[in-house]
Amino acid sequence: MSDDDHHFESKADAGASKTFPQQAGTIRKNAYLVIKTRPCKVVEVSTSKTGKHGHAKCHFVAIDIFTGKKLEDIVPSSHNCDVPEVVRTDYQLIDISEDGFVSLLTENGDTKDDLRLPTDEQLLTQIMDGFKDGKDLVVTVMTAMGEEQICALKDVGPKN
Amino acid sequence: MGLVQGDWQHLQGISNDMARMVTTMQAVEQACAALQVPTSRAAAETALLTFRKAPQPIQACQYILENSQMPMARFQAAATMQEAAIREWALLSAEQRNSLRTYCLRYVMARADAAEAYVQVKVLAVAAVLLKRGWLDFATDKEAFFGEVREAVLGAHGPAAQRSGLALLEALVSEFSPSTASAMGLPAEFHEHCRASLELDYLQQFYTWAQEAAITAAEKALQGVGGTLDVNVCAAGLRLMSQLLNWEFQGTLVRGANGVVVVGKQKVNAFASSISREGSAAKRPGDHACLVQPGPGWYDVLLEGNRVGWILELYARVRQGGLGSSSWMDSPLAVAARQLIVQLCSLNGNIFPSDGGTTQELHLQRLLSGITSWLDPPEAVVGAIKSGSTFPSELLDGCHALVAIASVNSPSAFDQLLKPVSRSVGTLSLLASLTREIIKASDPADSEEETWTSKALDILLDTWTVLLQPADFSKQIPFPLSGIEAAAAVFHAYVETGIRAAAASAHDEDDDVEEVRAAIEARDERLSAVALVARAAPSATVPLLAHLVSERCTWLLQCTGGRGDPSSVKEELHWLLLMSGHVLADSGDGETPLVPESISALNVSSADPANHPAVLLCHSVVNLARQSLDTNIRTEIFSPRLMEAVVWFFGRWVDTYLMPADAGRGPNSTPSSNEGDQQQMGGTAGPQLQPLVVAFGEEGGGKAVLEVLVRVAVSGLISWPGERTLQEMVSFQLLPALVRRRNICVHLVSLEAWQELAHAFAFQQATLSTLASPIQRALSEALCRSAGGMSSGDATNQYVRDLLGPITRNLATLSKREDLQTFSQQPDVILQVSCLIERLRGAARATLPRSQKAILEIGSSVMEPLLILLETYRHQSSVVYLLLKYVVDWVDGQVAFLEAKDTVIVFSFCVRLLEIYSTHNIGKVSVSTSTNLLSEGQTEKYKDLRALLQLLTNLSSKDLIDFACDINGEVENPDVAQVVYLGLHIITPLMSVDLLKYPKLCRQYFTLLAHMLEVYPEKVAKLSPDGFSRIVGTLDFGLHHQDVEVVSMSLTALNAVAFYHYQAICRGQEGLGVHVLSIQDAQGVVKEGVLAHFLRSVMQFLLFDDYSNELVEPAADALLPLILCNTTLYQRLAQELLEGQQDALLQSRLATAFHVLLNAQQVTSSLDRQNRRKFRENLYAFLTDVRGFLRTR
Repeated sequence: MSDDDHHFESKADAGASKTFPQQAGTIRKNAYLVIKTRPCKVVEVSTSKTGKHGHAKCHFVAIDIFTGKKLEDIVPSSHNCDVPEVVRTDYQLIDISEDGFVSLLTENGDTKDDLRLPTDEQLLTQIMDGFKDGKDLVVTVMTAMGEEQICALKDVGPKN
Repeated sequence: MGLVQGDWQHLQGISNDMARMVTTMQAVEQACAALQVPTSRAAAETALLTFRKAPQPIQACQYILENSQMPMARFQAAATMQEAAIREWALLSAEQRNSLRTYCLRYVMARADAAEAYVQVKVLAVAAVLLKRGWLDFATDKEAFFGEVREAVLGAHGPAAQRSGLALLEALVSEFSPSTASAMGLPAEFHEHCRASLELDYLQQFYTWAQEAAITAAEKALQGVGGTLDVNVCAAGLRLMSQLLNWEFQGTLVRGANGVVVVGKQKVNAFASSISREGSAAKRPGDHACLVQPGPGWYDVLLEGNRVGWILELYARVRQGGLGSSSWMDSPLAVAARQLIVQLCSLNGNIFPSDGGTTQELHLQRLLSGITSWLDPPEAVVGAIKSGSTFPSELLDGCHALVAIASVNSPSAFDQLLKPVSRSVGTLSLLASLTREIIKASDPADSEEETWTSKALDILLDTWTVLLQPADFSKQIPFPLSGIEAAAAVFHAYVETGIRAAAASAHDEDDDVEEVRAAIEARDERLSAVALVARAAPSATVPLLAHLVSERCTWLLQCTGGRGDPSSVKEELHWLLLMSGHVLADSGDGETPLVPESISALNVSSADPANHPAVLLCHSVVNLARQSLDTNIRTEIFSPRLMEAVVWFFGRWVDTYLMPADAGRGPNSTPSSNEGDQQQMGGTAGPQLQPLVVAFGEEGGGKAVLEVLVRVAVSGLISWPGERTLQEMVSFQLLPALVRRRNICVHLVSLEAWQELAHAFAFQQATLSTLASPIQRALSEALCRSAGGMSSGDATNQYVRDLLGPITRNLATLSKREDLQTFSQQPDVILQVSCLIERLRGAARATLPRSQKAILEIGSSVMEPLLILLETYRHQSSVVYLLLKYVVDWVDGQVAFLEAKDTVIVFSFCVRLLEIYSTHNIGKVSVSTSTNLLSEGQTEKYKDLRALLQLLTNLSSKDLIDFACDINGEVENPDVAQVVYLGLHIITPLMSVDLLKYPKLCRQYFTLLAHMLEVYPEKVAKLSPDGFSRIVGTLDFGLHHQDVEVVSMSLTALNAVAFYHYQAICRGQEGLGVHVLSIQDAQGVVKEGVLAHFLRSVMQFLLFDDYSNELVEPAADALLPLILCNTTLYQRLAQELLEGQQDALLQSRLATAFHVLLNAQQVTSSLDRQNRRKFRENLYAFLTDVRGFLRTR
């Protein structure tokens, strides 16, 4: 039996765009989707038909995961859509520079210094306050289609 | 708004003078005005609520009622008066109570013709409430009171007073009827007493008075001497009469020796009546008519003399224009009269003497003779409405009357009723021609709207349902021959209209409306009602359907090669398939539906069983389905929508027709009669088998059909990419139907088509991998269930292993990849992982006792990989959720069977899972640029938590249901409670008050908590102070929740904890130990011990909060042990309450009540069942006594 086994393989194209084709009919609410070259999260899917005896088409309402803008798209449900690879990575926060950049510790011990502080008020204050109080902070960075943004914060206890 | 929000307390302080009244009135008026403006509404509402809750507002209310120019303010005053009177009832003297009631009556009488009727109605309602509240207190006063009312009703003080009198009676009746009674904070028994007393002593009188008033008023009006007021009185009288007939008659009331109504068993009634009301919402469709069963005492009032004739005659004269206005049909008088006539139609029960139904028959004949003029001739009546020259209301009421008459008659008696009245035609043919006309008149274009035709059709179909399907299934109802013809004609008309509408709508672009679930349900309901009519005349209707379907199949094939546009034919077929499905079979809903009796009993004239009309019909659909397997034909003439209908048809049909389990038995295989069985034995023992069994049974054509259906299912999944609806139909309806019965599974597993499907599934072939994940789950479930068809347990297990083995190996390989972190995040990998987990979940849901072993192995082999994946995908909430749900279902399927050594493994796996989940989710703050996404994130978290709670609940059921046979009891069963508490400990930090606002989650959490605390209180004692205080915190939250069930569960949990502690203390153990002690923290603030804290909150809750009566019992159960644990605190609390009471009288009442609470009925300090019961009763008495005056504080 095992010689027939199907193994995971990825259709990853090595290009920088990092998107993958997926049939529109299988994309559900809360999945990611590229609309107008923007990575989005789907908040609403509805299907309808082209005429009573036509084929199904999907109507997506989605929100740009970086800008929060709403985007819509209609795709025949048997066609493929582009799905972005959205990766979240945790980094330890080392420093916040005065010009609004953060310094993060990567897994292999290097530092990553090319990220700005988030624009979100709540998260920003929490990072600043936590950092000021000398807490050990772990930030989550969301990456998709070449863009990056700090999207979450976790307090792992006071610095010793 | 400062003034409006007013300092009532302050106002109250001023001496009782005019100024205070005026100020209050102005404040209320101002608030009422502010209520109309959206911006100030909230403030106005609080102001009015404060006014309502203010102590002793009655004088102020009266002042407002008399002096305010603003009707809204007067209304509020009346409402406040009602609330205050009930609340402060105990404080009012008998005299005050009487005068308040008299005040209300005088007020209305004096302003009988005032413009704002709603104020008068409210004031009358106040009077009714007052009367009811004191109903059992004074016996003498009532006669005088009703004497006055009678005079007013009969017209002694003129028509205006007459109308007010009728309105008062109306208010009284609705107040005394339990379903419309206002809350009084009194036990149900009180309401029962009042209801019984009114029914026994007054209802008939009321009816007679109303009737007399109506008769005299009508006389005057008809002779032209009365004014419009008399017409109004007449209408009001008729309305009251029908309201009285609407009363829920008990009929069995007895009067005791001393003239007091004996309620006796009514305690049960108080409970039952509310149940039956809930149930009635979902009762049979015949509910357009509720039976009126007033009992024999009403004969004189309702039927004696020409009472019925009078109302018919009155209506006839209204109709002729005797009281003419242009829109006479919808005038209050006409409406009320028709309403009463319809109610008289549903008169039933022992009001009719036992003379073999003669009286009732005459009664109905008389009514029907009046009603036919509303409906007959149907063509003319319907035509007139369609042309707009009349209104449909009379027709609709006529239909209501028909359904009412049908529900008190057998079909043949129903048919006979009309014959002597007018002509030789029976009622059934009138019903049929009326139904046909309505069907023809209905406009398919706006079928979604509630038009008069669809309303009328609904009622008429209900009439058919009532006639064809009586509530009592055991009774065989012979349907008269004329009725069968009538039913066939009705069905014919319906099919004709349906097909025409379908063809016309084939090119409609917008089909969204139809896809709405509610619309589909409504359509199905309508179709099943029509199907019932069709089944009454199967020899005509089934051949008709067979003919139409096969005709359209031929047409469809003729359209190939571009020879025509198949759209309208497809749409017609779609409709016909739905209709045929409803006619041929019932939806299973968990039971195995049988072939409808009339269809299986259908006589076949020709010898060939293949010519049985039902077989013909089924075969033509099977043929259609077979055509769809041909690629060319499929692409050319089949559409997703048509396939959906085909798949839906078979999803329904399979349960009933395919390889029926009781194939050897005849048509009437209901278990009701043994005699019948014997007869059938004779019938089926002969050489001729049932044609349906020959066609679709295991020995007959069943296997061939099964093969086609499997291929149709597979093609539905893979040949229609992206057609989600079709795929869902296949995987949620057809596949489950195919694997539902084992005898079909036996054939399934040997079918080549099924084996191919299983192979493609196991080796994860690309054809299936594009299916959406819920469909993967359903497919896997179906395949694993079919394993039950293997010949032995071993074979079944092997089948499941073969199906799932490659999947588990695949997951294991993935989890061991070195580049897992980066590789796994690629969207297509995520999709594949999701599919595989969904497949595992489907398999877990299909756990059968005989495949449990294999599923356990599979589950155990993916434990490690899954934990790795949970870690890897911690940021992919959708994967995390699928994974959790899989574990929930897997544990659910396994837990009852686990042996000790496996239990250890499963439990430790679950604990690790919980740990990993919580590490990544505690203390995390996520944000998003969009609030929409943020709330999505919150919802995802909520769903995760629900899954985790389900998991814990499933684990905790191990202690309750345990089928495992431990032969060698070497391994000790792990401590379930310990595991679940550990789980709770992990989960509770994730719970936030915000999340507990989700009702489902909240209930689930408190159910689990109550269960755990009840069963394992000793484990709570061992919790860390931190964990313990978290649980306590949520209990506090639960106690103040709005959901009665949550509060009740919190109380149960409290009871359990306190109970445990008290018993432990009595035995000299430490019980909850450190948790109950009050602690002084570093700042010197004393934190109360837990039980003391809860004693305080439960007392507070019971005395001052609003809650439903049903909470008193659980609260009593929690309170007793709490008091026993903290006697000193209890004394202190009671003392505080006593000292806070200014009024000496109230103080002493409170003191007595407190004494009674703990001392009446010899309540002891033990917690045995009997003692707790006594305490419950004491608490009830205590609360009724003191809440009234305590709560005004």
